[in-house]
Amino acid sequence: MDLTFLNAAFLLGALAALLPLIIHLFSRRRVETVDFSSLRFLRELERRKIRRIRVRQILLLIIRSLLILAVALALARPTLRGPLAAGGGHARTSVVIVLDDSASMSRGSASGESERDIFGLAGETALEVAGLLDEGDQAFLVTASYPARSELQGGTFSRGTLADALREIEPGALATDYSGAVAEALDLLSGARNLNRELYVIGDMQKSGWRDAVDARPSGGAPNPDDSPAGEDPGGADARPGGADRPTAFLFPVDGPVGNFAVVSASARRRYGGAEGLYSFTAEILNGSGRQAEVPVRLFLDGVQVGRAGVSLSSGERGSARFSASVDEAEWHRGWVELPADVFAADNRRYFVIPPLRRTEVLIVSGEAEERSGEAYYAERALDPAGEGRRFRTALIDASDLAAQDPARFATVVLADAGRLGDDAVEWVERYVASGGGLFVILGDRTDLRQWNSGDIPGSGGIRLIEPFESRSGVRLAPSGQGHPLLEGLVFGERLIDDIGVTRGFAADAPGVEQVLEFPGLGPALLLAGTPGDGSGEVAVLLTGVDREWSDLPRTGFVVPLFHRVVGEVSGLGALPRDVLAGGDLVVPIAGDGAGRVEVRTPDGGRLIPEHLGGSRAAVVVRDAVAPGIYEFVRNGAVVALGAVNLDPSESDLSQATREEISGRLGEIEHAFVDPGDDIEERVLASRRGRELWRVFVYVALALLALEMFLARQRAG
Amino acid sequence: MPDESYKRFLDPTVVSKLASMELRARLIVEGFVTGLHRSPYKGFSVEFAEHRQYMPGDPLKHIDWKVYGKTDRFYVKEYEEETNLRGYVLLDASASMGYSSGGMSKLEYGRYLSAAVTYLMLKQQDSVGLLVFDDAVREFVPPRSSPRQLHVLLSLIDSVEASSTTDVGQVLHELARRMTRRGLVILISDLLDDPASILPGLKHFRHLRHEVVVFHVLDPKEAEFDFDIDATFRDMETGDLMTTEPFSISGDYRAAVKEWMAGLRRRCAESGIDYVPVMTTTPYDRALFSYLEKRKRLG
Repeated sequence: MDLTFLNAAFLLGALAALLPLIIHLFSRRRVETVDFSSLRFLRELERRKIRRIRVRQILLLIIRSLLILAVALALARPTLRGPLAAGGGHARTSVVIVLDDSASMSRGSASGESERDIFGLAGETALEVAGLLDEGDQAFLVTASYPARSELQGGTFSRGTLADALREIEPGALATDYSGAVAEALDLLSGARNLNRELYVIGDMQKSGWRDAVDARPSGGAPNPDDSPAGEDPGGADARPGGADRPTAFLFPVDGPVGNFAVVSASARRRYGGAEGLYSFTAEILNGSGRQAEVPVRLFLDGVQVGRAGVSLSSGERGSARFSASVDEAEWHRGWVELPADVFAADNRRYFVIPPLRRTEVLIVSGEAEERSGEAYYAERALDPAGEGRRFRTALIDASDLAAQDPARFATVVLADAGRLGDDAVEWVERYVASGGGLFVILGDRTDLRQWNSGDIPGSGGIRLIEPFESRSGVRLAPSGQGHPLLEGLVFGERLIDDIGVTRGFAADAPGVEQVLEFPGLGPALLLAGTPGDGSGEVAVLLTGVDREWSDLPRTGFVVPLFHRVVGEVSGLGALPRDVLAGGDLVVPIAGDGAGRVEVRTPDGGRLIPEHLGGSRAAVVVRDAVAPGIYEFVRNGAVVALGAVNLDPSESDLSQATREEISGRLGEIEHAFVDPGDDIEERVLASRRGRELWRVFVYVALALLALEMFLARQRAG
Repeated sequence: MPDESYKRFLDPTVVSKLASMELRARLIVEGFVTGLHRSPYKGFSVEFAEHRQYMPGDPLKHIDWKVYGKTDRFYVKEYEEETNLRGYVLLDASASMGYSSGGMSKLEYGRYLSAAVTYLMLKQQDSVGLLVFDDAVREFVPPRSSPRQLHVLLSLIDSVEASSTTDVGQVLHELARRMTRRGLVILISDLLDDPASILPGLKHFRHLRHEVVVFHVLDPKEAEFDFDIDATFRDMETGDLMTTEPFSISGDYRAAVKEWMAGLRRRCAESGIDYVPVMTTTPYDRALFSYLEKRKRLG
């Protein structure tokens, strides 16, 4: 037995019931005193009539208060739910079904009895809920994978339409976002036609989906007139745009907790100092099984298993499996790390691709291009000693010509003691790095400390040059920390394989910037700056000159591998393409040379035409790539590029949010949990079906009004 | 002051109307000079009444010798004596008479009425006295018919102010004891007193053979009680308060007042008292003339 108000805001109007009393008290104080010749007749009448009048006045006062109260209650639309309301009228309801179609819903059930995935169970539950809708009920459908989407624009009044929409939904590879989906649902309900509003959240209640508190979006007022209902509106008399009624939420956890092993990341790096094409692979494994386990991990390249490793993990622990493998650097390679099958298959594989190592175009910018020694000269010699352009093809220009260059031509720009750059050159470099280009800055005689410290040069923001230093005895160049991967094979213990003395350099303050080399006791010598993930290129800064007056670098062979690796790193050749999560945009650099249209073959066998990105660096993009796997970019029948899309690792954590956590996220939204064994019809209808009492209160108000009019008109006689 | 009072209470238009009116006593009154009114004494006046057998001691000059010549018996002629009227104007000056719902107060009305009656009676050579009372006799001027009496009475009328409570019955009894000769008693009051004490007082006059006329002066609000707002009413005599809803009880109030007035009229009629209800909204001269015309018609 439960009395609720569909329009509780009007309950405030009940306070108006005090108005007659207030008016009575107020007017009583203001009654005028009138001199009259004699109260003789009034006294006689008082005995007979005036007392009756007072009783009538009190009665009128009560009736008027009750009248206002009844009107306020009628407007608040009280609904009686429970056994006493059985057989009562059906309260028209607007519902939103939030159905979880995230990747985790494709897992098997915890009991293992059913061969279907738990999405099948969720779908059945959703159809059962849809079956409880009655004439005049409005339904919306929202999917709970990120980003939350409304599947029925404007909702539907047709049970069949809702059921069809439910049957069309399949679990994908996207992450869960219950918080966003509930917020979307509340937004839809705020413009719903019926004031009785309910929200059904059906899914595995994965903890990662409840990361954020539900943020009820501000109501946009009236529903969008363009959002025409997908079914017939059988009346719609209950429309109340912009209603602020809090709905009742029902949460249906479709399955219990279950154990899971997952590959949550896979990374590869080109190894330096070894054989050509040698890569190291690292896969991070999650043990979500609730027990200690030895997890076998396999590495596949181009469909062939090339490595196997075992990782011993306790419950809830993450650990890494490492592999090494050689590939032909001239070709694209597709690979994945794989775990044995378990209840959630989608996260047992993690894909990656290895692009071919291509010749890199390098623009060397000098302060004095004609100079036959100095940083630019040595940089050119180090990168392309024979001038054949096999690995790097270089172009040497004067800094004054920089602004006239085509940035799309070059994967890396080396500012080799380029000196003070003009405003147009600075702008050119900014645009170039922002569009993903790599930058290698070699400081030297011409370095303008003031321009550098102004932060105009990309990468200089986190590096503050303090002052040049000079050491007659020389400072030995040394690896920073544990040895950067760039120095693999170039370090012997804590020293470089070559003793390199530095007589001049720049003392710098660069907190938080990755150090590759250092001047022991003086500060960093080689820094790698950049903000991975924002699409801009990486910037390397060498804080000493490649000049005999500055260091021994020109005299040693060390400068050749160092420059190769630094330029390779900033031009993006050192690491695999960035991991793209399902639902994100897969961007692949493909030169737009007009040699034919690019087509994409998706992992699920589909074909699509990618979008060409504009800007200085040619690339194509597959928007909202939802299917995990390897995407093939084909031109004229030949694969010209590959891209990998993987499951959001948050989906691999199948732990469920506790009811307290969910309640905390839902905040003030009234909610109830419906367990798998519960009778949905009984639980839901006990809440939804009820006797709307507003008519009763209207009748009461009319009766009171009639009584009031009768009493008010009747004279004491 | 007398001149001012004269101007105030005796408007020339009213005076001119009064010139053609007379207030003749319907009953026999005991005057002391010759006047308009029938005297209880039969003597030797102008109007022949009857012949009476001569009794020793009768003046010989009254013997009708013609009758003696015919009958050989001594008869004397008797004439009905006409005398003047002794009028008593009783003006209620209790606090309730001060009530006014907007226009003239009842006391003001009574003052005008008193002045007019006084003038009328003095004009016809009657003697008039004035008694102002509330719960006791406040002022009393014995009846006189001298021309100066008008000024005396008008001055007194002019100075009357409403005050105190009413005790009409007590005052009537007291006056009745004072009046030794039959005359005309004119009571001007709102009679807002206990009817059980008023009527015996009036009957006391009748018992002493006085003619009694009661001008019952009321304000329309007192009769209708048609106030349009709820109010607390304060009794002007006792200061008692009572809050009520006039809208709801005006009907009953009117009925009660009507019943009260009907009772007064009936009991006055039973006692041979002229009961004249007047509202303060009716011009006093019109009310007076109307009454005098009616009185004249009825003889």
